[in-house]
Amino acid sequence: MNNILEIKNLTKNYHTKEGEIKALNNFNLEVKEGEIIAIVGPSGCGKSTLLSLISGLDLDYKGNIKAKDKLKMAYMLQSDALLPWLTIYENAILGLKINHELSKENIEYVLYLLDLYNLKEFKDAYPKSLSGGMKQRLALIRTLATKPDILLLDEPFCALDQQARLLISDDVYQICKKEHKTVILVTHNIEEAITFSDRVIVLSKRPAIIKNIIPIKMNNNVSILERRKDEAYQQYFDLIWKDLEYNES
Amino acid sequence: MSPEQEKFIKKIKINKLKIMLWQFLIIISFFLIWELLVNVGILSAFIYSSPSRIITTIVGLIKDHNFFIHIFITLKEVLISFIIGLSLGFIIAIILYEFKFVAKIVDPFLTMLNSLPKVALGPLIIIICGANTKSIILMALLINLIVSVITIYNGFLQTDEYRLKLFKTMHANKRQILFNLVIPSSYQTIIASFKLGIAQTLIGVIMGEFLVSKQGIGYLIVYGKQVFNLNLVMSGIVLLALISYLLYKLIVILEKKLLKHL
Ligand SMILES: Nc1ncnc2c1ncn2[C@@H]1O[C@H](COP(=O)(O)OP(=O)(O)OP(=O)(O)O)[C@@H](O)[C@H]1O
Ligand SMILES: [Mg+2]
Repeated sequence: MNNILEIKNLTKNYHTKEGEIKALNNFNLEVKEGEIIAIVGPSGCGKSTLLSLISGLDLDYKGNIKAKDKLKMAYMLQSDALLPWLTIYENAILGLKINHELSKENIEYVLYLLDLYNLKEFKDAYPKSLSGGMKQRLALIRTLATKPDILLLDEPFCALDQQARLLISDDVYQICKKEHKTVILVTHNIEEAITFSDRVIVLSKRPAIIKNIIPIKMNNNVSILERRKDEAYQQYFDLIWKDLEYNES
Repeated sequence: MSPEQEKFIKKIKINKLKIMLWQFLIIISFFLIWELLVNVGILSAFIYSSPSRIITTIVGLIKDHNFFIHIFITLKEVLISFIIGLSLGFIIAIILYEFKFVAKIVDPFLTMLNSLPKVALGPLIIIICGANTKSIILMALLINLIVSVITIYNGFLQTDEYRLKLFKTMHANKRQILFNLVIPSSYQTIIASFKLGIAQTLIGVIMGEFLVSKQGIGYLIVYGKQVFNLNLVMSGIVLLALISYLLYKLIVILEKKLLKHL
């Protein structure tokens, strides 16, 4: 199939003592291979829920999630979730170690990534000595190390300052384009959604349904910063802004 | 280093020295005043002893070769019950963490045991185990075990939720999560439980020695009381204070070594 992921009639209810929370209701989405999708929506509408269902963290749902055979997913979270008692290198290979995939080839790939992101010289240092941006880069390397086909990114840059955020999201963007990775990015940041993705999906308030799908047609061979200068950028921004604003009222 | 930086470092050092000087002064004046009050006759030497009498007593103990035996016995009892308590506490905490249902069931019992004054169990323990070292160790164990279980288990529960989620997305199994995440995350709490544990163990051991022993510092104190040798009682107390301080310092050093990357 051309689609790497197909979601049909996905419904998710949380059960709490206070009552039932409908997080997703008959949600549908198709993701093509190599596509970068950004999901925006009001706080608490069910974005993280969607990702944890896709990733298989949570198996309690109704509906259908069909993924391509042997699809390898990796999850990147808002927190870098580094382990302070492991060195930079040990943190980078954590996923490989847990899945018993410490082959020579994989280790070389990790070293290549560490080198690429200027972390190789700190290889034997501990995360404590890294800046926020470097930590997030290391989290990215750890995510890429297992060579996933699809990356699920849940607000991965939101703890960073503006500069680090732009630089690192560009790193991720370039590597995903280059290696033809499929990405689902959840973000609150409209600019990020537009500049990062091929398609922005705007969700409604909880339970989330798709409010609008906006294909982004801008040059994708340039950096994220360059993409912000595209003449279509402002139009996209206004469109999404309106969809979100409508939601709030 | 810039002059300002040098000044700053110097200030910190001087401050540290000042604090140490004050501590030294307080100790010295405490002992001097004590000595003085006894010598002048305001305090009775018979009841309150005096620093010089304590030193003489301790020197006497050292000459008899009894000194090291008593200290050794007490330290041995402390170490044995501390290590057993810690290992057992660690294992029980793991079981509670892995089986949350069990943890919920035993929760009120743990709370009850925790607040029960364990010294009340002393007579019972002696009847069951006899008046020997076993009773002392069991006594100390009862005291430190509950504390270890509760602090270590709570440490496990505080594992960062993002890190847990990360491990789950990596399809880590329960054993991997426990050994690669939950336990290392709790290093700090576990070491903190050492500090609590060693103090509690010392309390337990001395209590045990009060009740049954024929040797050890607790015994020195009780024996001193029985024969109205208050010099001996005071010497025991001073030794205890020193030992508990040293044990605590030892753990602080260990803590610095183990946690230097965190
Ligand atoms: N484990 C849970 N138990 C009960 N309710 C939950 C649970 N997880 C999420 N919810 C609820 O489900 C709804 C959707 O949550 P979710 O985390 O998916 O939102 P979100 O879109 O990611 O929000 P945000 O933008 O703030 O990250 C929220 O109302 C939340 O309170
Ligand atoms: Mg969320």
